Amino acid sequence: MRALSVVLVSALALGACSSGGSSENTAASTGCAPSEGNVTLTYTTWIPGIENVVKVWNDKNPNIQVKVQTGPNGNGGTYANFFNQLKAGNAPDLGHIEYDALPSFRVQDGLTNLADCTEVTAAKDQFVDWTWGQVTFGEENAVYGIPQDAGPMALFYRKDLFEKNNIPVPATWDEYAVAAEKVKAAGGYITNFSQSDINQFAGFAWQAGGRWFANDGSKWTVNLQDEATTKVAGYWQGLIDAKLVSAVPPWTTEWDNAYNTGQAWTWTSAVWGANSIMSGAPDTKGKWAVAPMPQWTSGATVAGNWGGSSTAVFKGSKHPYEAAKFALWLNTSEEALTLLNSEAQLYPATKAGAKLPALSEGVEFYGGQKIYDVFATASTQVAPDFVWGPTMTSTYATASDGFKAAVSGNGTLLDALKTTQTKTVENLKSQSIPVAE
Amino acid sequence: MKRVTPMVVMGAATFYFLIPIWWLFVAASKSRSEFTGTTPLWFADFALTDNLGELFAYRDGVFLRWMLNSVVYTGGAALLGTILAAMCGYALAKYRFRGREAIFNVILGGVLVPATALALPLFLIFSRFEATNTFWSVFLPSLVNPFGVYLARIYAGASVPDELLEASRLDGSGEIRTFFTISSRLMFPALVTIFLFHFVAVWNNFLLPLIMLGEERLFPVTLGLYTWNTQVNQLPELRMLVLTGALVSIVPLVIAFLLLQRFWRNGLGSGAIK
Amino acid sequence: MRAPKKALLFFILPFGLLFTAFYLAPILYAIKQSLYRVERTGTFGPAVEVFGGLTQYQRVFADGPFWESIGRVLLFGVVQVPVMLGLALLLALLLDSGLVKGRRFFRLAFFVPYAVPGVVAAIMWGFLYSPSLSPFDAVTGNVDLLSADLVLWSMANVVTWVYVGYNMLIIYSSLLAIPQEVYEAARIDGAGAIRTAWAIKIPLVMPAIVLTTVFSIIGTLQLLAEPQVFRTFSSAVSSTYTPNLTVYSTSSIPNFHLAAAFSVVLALATCLLSFAFLKVTQRGGDK
Repeated sequence: MRALSVVLVSALALGACSSGGSSENTAASTGCAPSEGNVTLTYTTWIPGIENVVKVWNDKNPNIQVKVQTGPNGNGGTYANFFNQLKAGNAPDLGHIEYDALPSFRVQDGLTNLADCTEVTAAKDQFVDWTWGQVTFGEENAVYGIPQDAGPMALFYRKDLFEKNNIPVPATWDEYAVAAEKVKAAGGYITNFSQSDINQFAGFAWQAGGRWFANDGSKWTVNLQDEATTKVAGYWQGLIDAKLVSAVPPWTTEWDNAYNTGQAWTWTSAVWGANSIMSGAPDTKGKWAVAPMPQWTSGATVAGNWGGSSTAVFKGSKHPYEAAKFALWLNTSEEALTLLNSEAQLYPATKAGAKLPALSEGVEFYGGQKIYDVFATASTQVAPDFVWGPTMTSTYATASDGFKAAVSGNGTLLDALKTTQTKTVENLKSQSIPVAE
Repeated sequence: MKRVTPMVVMGAATFYFLIPIWWLFVAASKSRSEFTGTTPLWFADFALTDNLGELFAYRDGVFLRWMLNSVVYTGGAALLGTILAAMCGYALAKYRFRGREAIFNVILGGVLVPATALALPLFLIFSRFEATNTFWSVFLPSLVNPFGVYLARIYAGASVPDELLEASRLDGSGEIRTFFTISSRLMFPALVTIFLFHFVAVWNNFLLPLIMLGEERLFPVTLGLYTWNTQVNQLPELRMLVLTGALVSIVPLVIAFLLLQRFWRNGLGSGAIK
Repeated sequence: MRAPKKALLFFILPFGLLFTAFYLAPILYAIKQSLYRVERTGTFGPAVEVFGGLTQYQRVFADGPFWESIGRVLLFGVVQVPVMLGLALLLALLLDSGLVKGRRFFRLAFFVPYAVPGVVAAIMWGFLYSPSLSPFDAVTGNVDLLSADLVLWSMANVVTWVYVGYNMLIIYSSLLAIPQEVYEAARIDGAGAIRTAWAIKIPLVMPAIVLTTVFSIIGTLQLLAEPQVFRTFSSAVSSTYTPNLTVYSTSSIPNFHLAAAFSVVLALATCLLSFAFLKVTQRGGDK
């Protein structure tokens, strides 16, 4: 009997806290007044070496101390933790959220609108335009996070192999396909198609003008099969069918090996890819170079983006003013950006950040080329109006299931996009998120 | 039957079970470039000590801290958990009372529910008491081992004769004292088994700490390694640390097994499943 | 024996309270969750939880991939569980037979894989399966162990590798409990080792085998760590490859209500199967 009453008490306790979590909040911004007295903020992130950056802040700001919590990367468990914490009403003050996950948190009503913080709105011009678009979702009077880093894309290629085989560096995707055949003839693959990390494909679609999601305030539109995306999918399907690209699963040792042994000759990747190649393919030191991303029309200058994240203030934070102040320092001050870059290779989202001394020098691994100049230019060429959907984890999962099937000869990338479209719409509906058919 | 065939079977099984461990050992002794460039099952330059040094020095020795945490979480939870499970299983085996079978079935039913489903509710419970991100949030749920109750019930039923309990009752010994002085001794080899299984289960559990903990200093070693593994994309040099760390993380379990193994030497006799 | 109330409470209450708090209450909460759904207004309107009856369950039953994944783990279980337990039984019998020297060494050797956390084991085998890095490249170079046709069995091998030692220990400890007198009769009859094993030992350890089977069935239906890790290096493993993986990916969307409904259905299916298995074996035993 006593056991039964304990069960009831526990169940009631659960019921009470679950309803407390999400009901009282509204979408209106919550004001941004400084707190009185000393403040301690909690900040959850998986950036390696972040303690060293935060220590600089803590030493200078005895009144606003920041406590770092850590965990696996976002999709590895930290996002799930954030959602749990939001439901329980004990989320940290600040959290690390990638751009593509930000709308999911907005939909769960998990973010504090920082538009009332004048310092935040005043900082707008310091950031590269498109990164600001990623944290405002194009809404007026809304800022849901401070942009932290960016992943403008360019073409990494094996300079030595291209020269030796007399293959010109492709400036357009057509030229890239031609080069692919020559590379194949020379015994390599032009690149490895990223079958399970859909973000690279998203970067391609972004560059080509694809816009997967739109939201007019009353409902979402899902458009994974727009003209541009269809074009990109058809293009890569062609390369896959002709066996001109390999399809090793990305981020595995196997994959590192394909680059290290010269099996794969190019990689269209984000700025942080520079470090991936350096550590994944150490034997190819000095043999790589970076060129702008191939274009769909000759002479155009459009780049895609792959990755990037923001520092957001969670709903329920009692100190939005201080949290915003810290987030701004972390992502705009030269000392913080320099440290973030040296500790974790983060590429700043600010205009000034692209001129950091560390990002202005030639890189030995790339034959002394000043590769970051290429990315700095690319960053200004990313379209500002690309919007992520509110259930990206499941959209990625479905797309990657389909892409994997396509690479193993089971259907095509277009089929995969079609399934992803249906499944995503289904998913939005099952969460009662209004969506246009 | 000849002795050759059994030994061949045992040899083949040993090969199957140990070759991946051997591979891990060899891999942990290599530098990063040798890892992909040399024969996987034999040593290149033996750099295990370098790797260990790097592992233990990385981020102010946080790995050693994780190992220590794991030992505390696991050792404590397995010890206490075994006693609790033994008491409960013993009572279910030795006393007749109303609702006995119902309680037993409910406890067994606990095993059926996927851990993924319990994650959010557990988190909400600890949030209620503002106890997430603490030692207790991982330690307390780890104490519960329904499987242990099941085993303890069977073992107790088999190894503790009713007559003995009657006798000690007549001697005026209380039930609780009887349990700790006589019954538990009879159940001891079985308790060692329960302890070992519980120990391994808690050591390997990383879902619970993953949900509960944000403070790196509180992580157990599995969660720490998992966290590093998700950062390999960003910092590929972590890969060798993950491999070396995985090797080191097995060692305490092997030691625990070796220490406990001697309790089986004379057979589990009294305490086995019937 | 009749139960003295105080002692009974002392024995059962500590475990009972913890079990109630960390198993029962969460389970009840999950069931409650599964009966709710969210409603919201506008694209970013806050969610309101409303009672939804069996809406989530309708979704579960209409979800093709979920039922496919149940079929997949059933196939997995039908093949892997007998192989694993057969191996565990064989090794336990050999250890117990007196025909083998170095028992303590073998016991340790077979147990070590169980000490390797599931996630780490899957990562290790991932390397051993990889076409170019595997030490067995004679095999992996010719047969793609990570392809859609084979990856299920590659995973089965990992699970077998980890759990044979564990199951062997359970069976072995039960073999050790057989009193020596039982063997005397057999010896007088002149029965050989194989006959003794078949006619005496196996029937006597049947309860242990049934126990390990039930737990293996449960483990199979709840496969999570292995497919999760294999997803990163095999193109054939989807995000809904096993039922538990579906629960996991649904709750990380986050769609807590649907995830709860998935897990309730999964738990019921597990219960049904384990119960059916027990019934079947009991009937067999009655003859």
